[in-house]
Amino acid sequence: MKLHLAALAALSIIIAACAPDASGTASAVGDLPRATPDEIIALVAADPRPAVVNVWASWCGPCRSEAPLLRQAHAEYGDRVLFIGVDIQDTQESAQAFIEEFGLDFDHYFDPHREVPAAWGGLGVPLTYFLATDGEILTLHNGILDERTLVEGIDSLLAGS
Amino acid sequence: MEFTLLGNALIGAAALWGSIRYLDRDGRLTAAAPRPWDVALGASMLGLVVGRLWAMIGAGTNPLTHLFDVLLIRGGVDTVGASLAFGAALAWGYRDRLAVATDAIAAPALFGLAGWHGGCLVRGACAGTPTTLPWGVEGTGGVFRHPIEVYAALLLVGGGLLIARAWRTGSLPGRLGSLAVVVAAGSRALTEPLRLHLGSGLLGFYLVGTLAGIVMFAIAGRKGHRPRPQQPAEQA
Repeated sequence: MKLHLAALAALSIIIAACAPDASGTASAVGDLPRATPDEIIALVAADPRPAVVNVWASWCGPCRSEAPLLRQAHAEYGDRVLFIGVDIQDTQESAQAFIEEFGLDFDHYFDPHREVPAAWGGLGVPLTYFLATDGEILTLHNGILDERTLVEGIDSLLAGS
Repeated sequence: MEFTLLGNALIGAAALWGSIRYLDRDGRLTAAAPRPWDVALGASMLGLVVGRLWAMIGAGTNPLTHLFDVLLIRGGVDTVGASLAFGAALAWGYRDRLAVATDAIAAPALFGLAGWHGGCLVRGACAGTPTTLPWGVEGTGGVFRHPIEVYAALLLVGGGLLIARAWRTGSLPGRLGSLAVVVAAGSRALTEPLRLHLGSGLLGFYLVGTLAGIVMFAIAGRKGHRPRPQQPAEQA
């Protein structure tokens, strides 16, 4: 029994160690531009698509967990929904490494003083706002996203646009 | 773990525990499947951990360098990994009496799974694709949607009741366990088109699971009908 458990543990470690991890590699992502809450609203209003604005930080564990979902959602809905990331209370280097690690291939803005959540509301990080085409905030999701919540939010945006 | 999701898990565990207690009121269940609560709960926990690790590795996150992330269950649990680990752990736990024990624990497992799905009512996470049917639940943005998790829970409860009844009256060894696989995978396959998901979803996996259950059911039936070989002493 002990032998089986030891073999299982060893196998788990080997499998886990084989998982790719891009942290620590040199970043190919440039400095994130700064944008005020109003400027982000204006960006959304200027785009014909409704928007998903995700507030994240590289030091936030739940943000790491939901990042692959956002990447997948952007790949699937990016032509119909505008995705925007807002990195708060972070450093440029850490933010760039995070974006590169998870392949978050949409626009991100730098918000070191947490101006966006202060203006739009929401507790902690991550936060996800679903915005109509005119820039109106329709829904706020506090905390980590799951697949169903994200798709329901996007589906509702598309139904209303 | 998010607290509302913990509520979901507790409802599933309560349904599992309650159905084990009810079906074991004459001691038949524990005679066929010793320590059913420990084995089923242990297999569920292992399934949860393996599913979470599977999801993390699949998403490109190394669990060894981000150990804390393993706890973020809401960050994603891979259903394929979790189901396979649960099945393997259950089979390992009852390896010396697989057919009889899985038959005994089949109905409680389905009721536990139904509790997990039905727990969506507590956390307001039942919504599927939009519907105009009168029982649609109001989701984000005032859109009415299929209460998809409730559909799955009802299918699982229906299957669980049938299996529990068949178990009380007797069946060929291995058939009810196989039938539970058909019900668990089939209920998800039936409801999958109404679910909200990214990508192509898991319909293929659930169809394979349903087919595997049907094959196991057929094999169990054939084995059950096979005449028991006579011992040399009996032949003499």
